[in-house]
Amino acid sequence: MLEELKTKYTGTPLEIMQDDEALVVYTPRSGVHRHTYGKLSPFFRALKKGQLLATKCVNPECPEKRMWLPPRADCPDCNQPMEWQEIPQPIIGTIHTFAQVVYPGAGIELKAPYYQIDVELPGVCTIFKGYLASGTAKIGMKVKAAFNTKKPSNTILDIYWEPVK
Amino acid sequence: MILLKEGNLRIPRWNRKVFAVAGGLVNYKKFCSEMKLEEQVMVAFRQMLEQNNLKMSPVEVKGLINFIAAGNFADHFQDQLLCEAKVTDYLGLDPMYDIGIKTGGATGGSSILTAAMAIASGYADVALAVGWERMSEVDTRTGNYYISTAACKDFETRLGRVYSSYYAPMAVRFSEMYGLSEQTRAKVAVKNHLYGYYSPYAQQPGKYTVEEVLASPMATYPLRFLECCAMTDGAACMLLCDEKTAYKLSDRPVEVFIAGGSHTLRVADRRDMPIPLLPNEDPGLYDGMRKKAGARWPGFESFAACRFAAYFAYHMAGIKDPLEELDVLETHDAFTISDIQTYGDIGVRPYGREAEFIESGDAYFGGKLPSNLSGGLIGTMHAVGATGIFSGVECLWQIQGKYDQFHGDPKIWKSFGKEKPQDWKSLQVPNAKQAAWVSHAGVGSHVTVGVLRKAF
Repeated sequence: MLEELKTKYTGTPLEIMQDDEALVVYTPRSGVHRHTYGKLSPFFRALKKGQLLATKCVNPECPEKRMWLPPRADCPDCNQPMEWQEIPQPIIGTIHTFAQVVYPGAGIELKAPYYQIDVELPGVCTIFKGYLASGTAKIGMKVKAAFNTKKPSNTILDIYWEPVK
Repeated sequence: MILLKEGNLRIPRWNRKVFAVAGGLVNYKKFCSEMKLEEQVMVAFRQMLEQNNLKMSPVEVKGLINFIAAGNFADHFQDQLLCEAKVTDYLGLDPMYDIGIKTGGATGGSSILTAAMAIASGYADVALAVGWERMSEVDTRTGNYYISTAACKDFETRLGRVYSSYYAPMAVRFSEMYGLSEQTRAKVAVKNHLYGYYSPYAQQPGKYTVEEVLASPMATYPLRFLECCAMTDGAACMLLCDEKTAYKLSDRPVEVFIAGGSHTLRVADRRDMPIPLLPNEDPGLYDGMRKKAGARWPGFESFAACRFAAYFAYHMAGIKDPLEELDVLETHDAFTISDIQTYGDIGVRPYGREAEFIESGDAYFGGKLPSNLSGGLIGTMHAVGATGIFSGVECLWQIQGKYDQFHGDPKIWKSFGKEKPQDWKSLQVPNAKQAAWVSHAGVGSHVTVGVLRKAF
């Protein structure tokens, strides 16, 4: 035999947003995800030490043998694991294109407006997105990597770019 | 993948012909508090069954459906997993199998592709493609953040948290490489808001001038708010069937071809590659393109996924010259810039000369290939999971000669609580025989191109 139970409501009543033709309530939703940087963990650890790491395909049979930034652990051309390679300092890149973010979405961690820039780096087959910490962005402009080593965010925002004077 | 092999380039083909016969839309709007999502889907479903001159009763047509391709983009918005089951149940289609489809902004196109594959393979004789999105269940900035998780969460999302910030760099680069002016971009916005003005379904209708578009607030430089699509609550559906059933159901069936392409989520990862030529492009056409420093294809200027989708779809449908052979076009104008970029991908102009499609007048009603007469995403709607179906349905109605029936009937305007404008005009393309539509995700991560051909 199952026991007799008495059940009480223990929740928090939902706040009403509107109550006209339809009843509309606010349903709060928050949650914290456990996000792993996985095999890219060395990249994010290195940013905090002021280093920029790329991955390079060293498989002699790979038809491409490219260097990747953003890094990826495995090569998409030959599907074999790649190796880490540090980009030598000073890291100078060229602005390939840019945008000025005026109306960012919720949770933005940069003070708007700011320049989001896409940076070409020598020897890298891809282009690397970041932000320009000062100055006015322009296509073709030379920029130098800088790092947020003092109070790292543990995100991609730990690297940023400054104009080369 | 940089160099494509024969197998990669195999042209898709149906095992039997596929047709579309009916479609349904809703009153697209922000924050549809008067209806839940499945109730809104019902509105589109009823229009599809009741107003498309089908030669069977709605209940009889329902009795023919045995497969559902159900698209919605982001569970975040609805905050309801497996809404497909709720929708299928609500439409009274249980226990027919529904497959949930999720390919971002291309979800609608992918849903039609999936339904078409079900017909072509013989899995079903009649299939429903249905899609929806409820983007106002959170405030706009939170909605923008949710959508920005369709950029790479490790390397891109935190740098903008709004999708305009991933298209704006494309606009800047495109202008640098091809000399596109902001006036040409603004003309796309003017055109599509205006065409939305003639549509009872439109969320953002408006008669704007180029100056007004350029004076509107900046979302992400160089894109202004009036150059950006709506965030919409809405649904759409299309009924697909085999040849025999198509003629049994409709006097105006339309044949369907559709194919897709995919590319990296991060634009910046798109390495240089050879341009696959469309049937109307001569070898050597793009030989001079890589002379500027940093030039690459597709780079930030173009969408390889769209080019491949067009390549496959044109070959499937036997289209040799899209500008000459198509009568109606619906593109995925989430932003003015992405609309212009697409003109090159689908070959209505060669790469580098996309702006001419607007400046020549070709893209306008009365022009060579009127584009987004529906109002598109800028004028009418972008309820993400429904969008590619909406665009397809608008093409279907154009070919069926039903633009007026579905846009000019004062009863439809009234049912949405709107007044048909005194200066309403018909945007029916006379004798439209063939249409194409583009359904596009991310910054070009998934794209379908579909072709509809008059079969009556």
